[in-house]
Amino acid sequence: MKLNIDGLLVYFPYEYIYPEQYSYMLELKRTLDAKGHGVLEMPSGTGKTICLLSLIVAYQKAYPLEVTKLVYCSRTVPEIEKVVEELRKLMDYYAKQTEAKNDFLALALSSRKNLCIHPEVSALRFGKEVDGKCHSLTASYIRAQHRSNPSQPVCQFYEEFDAVGRQVPIPPGIYNLNDLKDFGRRKGWCPYFLARYAILHANIVVYSYHYLLDPKIADLVSKELAKKSVVVFDEAHNIDNVCIDSMSVNITRRTLDRCQTNVETLQNTISRIKETDAAKLQEEYRRLVEGLKEANVARETDMYLSNPVLPDDILQEAVPGSIRTAEHFVGFMKRFLEYLKARLRIHHVVQESTPQFLKDIYEKVCIDRKPLRFCAERLRSLLRTLEIADITDFSAITLISHFATLVSTYSKGFTIIIEPFEDRTPTIANPVLHFSCMDPSIAIKPVFGRFQSVIITSGTLSPLDIYPRILDFRPVTVASFTMTLARTCLCPLIVGRGNDQVAMTSKFETREDFAVIRNYGNLLLEMSAIVPDGIVAFFTSYIYMENIVASWYEQGILENIQRNKLIFIETQDAAETSMALEKYQEACENGRGAILLSVARGKVSEGIDFVHHYGRAVIMFGVPYVYTQSRILKARLEYLRDQFQIRENDFLTFDAMRHAAQCVGRAIRGKTDYGLMIFADKRYARADKRGKLPRWIQEHLTDGSLNLTIDETVQLGKQFLRQMAQPFRQEDQLGLSLLTLEQLQSEDMLQKIAQIAQQA
Amino acid sequence: MASLSEEVLLVVKRVRQRKQDGTLYLMAERLAWGPEGKDRFTVSHLYADIRCQKISPDGKAKIQLQLVLHTGESTTFHFANESTALKDRDVAKELLQQLLPKFKKKANKELEEKNRMLQEDPVLFQLYKDLVVSQVISAEEFWANRLSLNSVEHSLSNNNKQEVGISAAFLADIRPQTDGCNGLRYNLTTDIIESIFRTYPTVKQKYAENVPHNMTEKEFWTRFFQSHYFHRDRINTGLQDIFSECAKEDEKGLKSMVTQGVKNPMVDLLSLEDKTLDEGYGTATVPTTSNSSNKSLRENSNSAIIKRFNHHSAMVLAAGLRKRHQILTSLFVAFQVKLQEAIEYDDLQGDSGRKTISLNLKKSDRYSHGPIPLQSQHYSTSQDIINSISIIQHEMRSYKPRLTQVMSSSAASSAITALSPGGVLMQGGGQQTINQLVPTDVQSELKHLYTAAGELLRHFWSCFPISTPFLEEKVVKMKSNLEKFQVMKLRPFQEKIQRQYLSTNVSSVPFFAFPVIFFFSVDNFIS
Repeated sequence: MKLNIDGLLVYFPYEYIYPEQYSYMLELKRTLDAKGHGVLEMPSGTGKTICLLSLIVAYQKAYPLEVTKLVYCSRTVPEIEKVVEELRKLMDYYAKQTEAKNDFLALALSSRKNLCIHPEVSALRFGKEVDGKCHSLTASYIRAQHRSNPSQPVCQFYEEFDAVGRQVPIPPGIYNLNDLKDFGRRKGWCPYFLARYAILHANIVVYSYHYLLDPKIADLVSKELAKKSVVVFDEAHNIDNVCIDSMSVNITRRTLDRCQTNVETLQNTISRIKETDAAKLQEEYRRLVEGLKEANVARETDMYLSNPVLPDDILQEAVPGSIRTAEHFVGFMKRFLEYLKARLRIHHVVQESTPQFLKDIYEKVCIDRKPLRFCAERLRSLLRTLEIADITDFSAITLISHFATLVSTYSKGFTIIIEPFEDRTPTIANPVLHFSCMDPSIAIKPVFGRFQSVIITSGTLSPLDIYPRILDFRPVTVASFTMTLARTCLCPLIVGRGNDQVAMTSKFETREDFAVIRNYGNLLLEMSAIVPDGIVAFFTSYIYMENIVASWYEQGILENIQRNKLIFIETQDAAETSMALEKYQEACENGRGAILLSVARGKVSEGIDFVHHYGRAVIMFGVPYVYTQSRILKARLEYLRDQFQIRENDFLTFDAMRHAAQCVGRAIRGKTDYGLMIFADKRYARADKRGKLPRWIQEHLTDGSLNLTIDETVQLGKQFLRQMAQPFRQEDQLGLSLLTLEQLQSEDMLQKIAQIAQQA
Repeated sequence: MASLSEEVLLVVKRVRQRKQDGTLYLMAERLAWGPEGKDRFTVSHLYADIRCQKISPDGKAKIQLQLVLHTGESTTFHFANESTALKDRDVAKELLQQLLPKFKKKANKELEEKNRMLQEDPVLFQLYKDLVVSQVISAEEFWANRLSLNSVEHSLSNNNKQEVGISAAFLADIRPQTDGCNGLRYNLTTDIIESIFRTYPTVKQKYAENVPHNMTEKEFWTRFFQSHYFHRDRINTGLQDIFSECAKEDEKGLKSMVTQGVKNPMVDLLSLEDKTLDEGYGTATVPTTSNSSNKSLRENSNSAIIKRFNHHSAMVLAAGLRKRHQILTSLFVAFQVKLQEAIEYDDLQGDSGRKTISLNLKKSDRYSHGPIPLQSQHYSTSQDIINSISIIQHEMRSYKPRLTQVMSSSAASSAITALSPGGVLMQGGGQQTINQLVPTDVQSELKHLYTAAGELLRHFWSCFPISTPFLEEKVVKMKSNLEKFQVMKLRPFQEKIQRQYLSTNVSSVPFFAFPVIFFFSVDNFIS
């Protein structure tokens, strides 16, 4: 249908629309008009993606000079593919309605592993291997060698692309990863470099967060994206963690050992080259003196990992003299390495700030701040000069150099923690140096600064005000949308007690309590008897799940559950879990029914949807607080309190509740879907917890369902499921939660819609 | 007769059969015996024909081996070599013991199939009795075109009987009970054993290997329950335990399942992340390098339990699905389909989007009308029924009782009396049907005769057109069969009926005579 969103003609590729979708688009339009940033929360399964795409594409078409590009960031590869498919649907609709030829170029970008078509390289299993192998075939010196010595293997696809691919623009259209590969195969061009080149002039780019947030990659890939772009972070409830992860480094003894061998290799290579080709090192030295660090044009293929710090923080001056010659630099690295080794030989935990660390290193081994800052840059230059083919071997020294650069660049927002052993195993020495970023705003700051509009959206962003605070930006719109429902298809219940009236909670003091574990087991057992098809249960941590499963096994609860459903359990091994997950779906599919025991914050809870019969009930055992004893977390909490005035408890609760909401939200997709959401912990009933759930869940939590026993839960659940199992037709929804164009245009509907969005 | 190409597995000299000395040969597919000094076998049995072998008890003077065939016949061999008789016999026995099971399956499948058909179909069984047991036609002839006919039908309905799934909790159902004196009792049923075998093929294999040669069945299961395989949460498996191999095998199976990866890329957690952080980056704690060594025993056993549950569920699921056809779609297509499913909002779409699976019915009438008694040949279509209902409804709506024109009560009551049994209108013959007149046994006999005659005629007519000498031969044979049937079955029946009923009810005679008349027409046709 064609919609009029605040004066903008929007093509929406469906015959009907949800009221909240309309409302969402209105808010989005306002954000774009204001050229500002927005935080929008709308329940999963209400078609956020298509709203975003429809409106922004319409905006691009209407004001091609105002918004030139849409950069859509999502989390996982399947999600990226989904976005491209929805976009394809929209574009098909455009083509049908306007009968004009599509002149939009939209494409997905992914890592080499997903895009490579080189027969040997693409056969490798791990992303790192693929990257390394690709580099060894496409680096500029390899190609130079190839010219003089044709037996030197190069990648034919890259050669072909380099020769002609840049002159001929890729024809307009929608390209998902497979389309790109097909196109590449047809033309004989490398799809990866083609895509990387094409994103510069594409109208829509879909890729993963890392390409914008991780400075090491963003600098390579997204540096030249136009300022007049709209950036969307979908499923952004975890964006702060992505930011933090991209700037944190862990160093173990193993890293140092491997770094040691790296240094030795470098030394040998240098002395070898000195004998044969001293001019090369001379040339590098000269270049560094002149500060022409990228003089010979950073060929795209040479860049393996870029500088770990943000572009603004990179020093635009010549490399200091102390590390200019190759030998000096290697000596410098050796010294740094020895220092780190010494730091790891400790018996008690050390925590210090970056200035403290720098002071210490200056006092102990006389290493200045400035050469440290150039470490990453200098190493990159050296590796290129030495023509190292397999860069993956040098990951350890690269990591150390990145650490050096980071630690010397940022004096705030980071902390260094050195732990001699793991908390769980105090007898085994396993020293780790955590260089941990505590401020997610550091990594995302350039994104907010550079792009005209940044939209942060997800199904679970409550409480809305916290994201602008921790990411340190000023949004123009902050809104939460509820789900209009013709029937209440979600049923959140808080179970606080067992039938024996013993409180159910995963609180640390009582979590190992026999009665608590038994009650949790009984809850699952009872639910397995009344819920059809699939049940997903989430535990607060992996270790807790292991313990509970073991005691359930001993008590015979699992065996009783098996009478009703098959049991699958997430393990720490991703491949094993994938298999369990597939079998779980198979069991739901063929009617046997199954239970998946999983972990909040685990891979399953983050990336897998349990739509329709794959998840008729979600049980959240306990409140998924992060492991609070971790020193990194403590440091971060302290930082949040000092810098952003966010109280520890507020943040912890916020973090736990967003994960809980994320877990239970996995089961609902759309208004035809339905599912029970069982929060099995009495603490959920408290206002401070409950209030932090997304509005669309909170709305359906009645006072009567706050502190139920297992029996009561079963009763309510049964009733709910029976009701939901009745046929649900489109007519039932029409006019309430589903609108035709005429209904949408009616006056009182527009009034109603205005109430859907709740401004924070 | 002895074809030279056959592989001879064992030769035993000085074996007597029917008091005649000779040599026993065990070949690849059959067992044969030839008398001394002659180069042909007088006894030759395919292994497939042998039901079982029996041996004389130890200590008996005569050392014998008896073979019982499926037909019920038996052949006895007497090992007469004084010094090595016992050894000879045991060698032969051992070899047969290995050979027979291999062929048994082949032979049994057919036999079982026939048996099953007879059991499931009482009419066929009766027919079999009438025709084969009374030796009107031979068993082979009877089955000749029946099996092929049925096998087609069966492959369609997929073995007729639905495979029963396995309860996931079958191991839970064998809770041990204390037997009062320091021991445990496990109650096993055949169902549970079946479940164990289907879920854990390795155990089945062990069973086949060890029972009954190495241990009794009871011993086997005792060991099974004692084994760590059953109590999997303990990790160290003893080396002597026969099930430790099973555990290893299972482990391997699980590993191979894991390495095979998943078909659905939407659930593949390995390729979920586009760009994982390189090693050493990120805040997540680094997984400890020395993985299992610093884990406590308890943790290890916990993860063993988890592994076990995953494996168990996967196996149970697989056992239930074993027969299902694998749909072979390429990964790519499957992924496309999943993607489309994932982005589809069926309520936002018009109503066109709903995809349905059409019901595949063999007899759609039976589906729409439900089971109906077999006799009524004519039934109305659903359209008729709907029509008539609407007509009736229509009439009911327009119905107005005309109270002035009703019958007087005395007239009504006299009409009812007249219509009641014994009333004026209910007298007189013609109302009694044959099935009230004739006793049921005669009726059923007639029915059997009728079906038997039908079967014979089917065989007979199937020979036309006579295009081969074989068919010609068959026609002649079938004609004689028909005649035989007439003489042996129909005539006596006819006479019996005539004796009993001719006097009472004349009208039924033509009916009884029907097959006979029909037969004569056939006779005429042939001659």
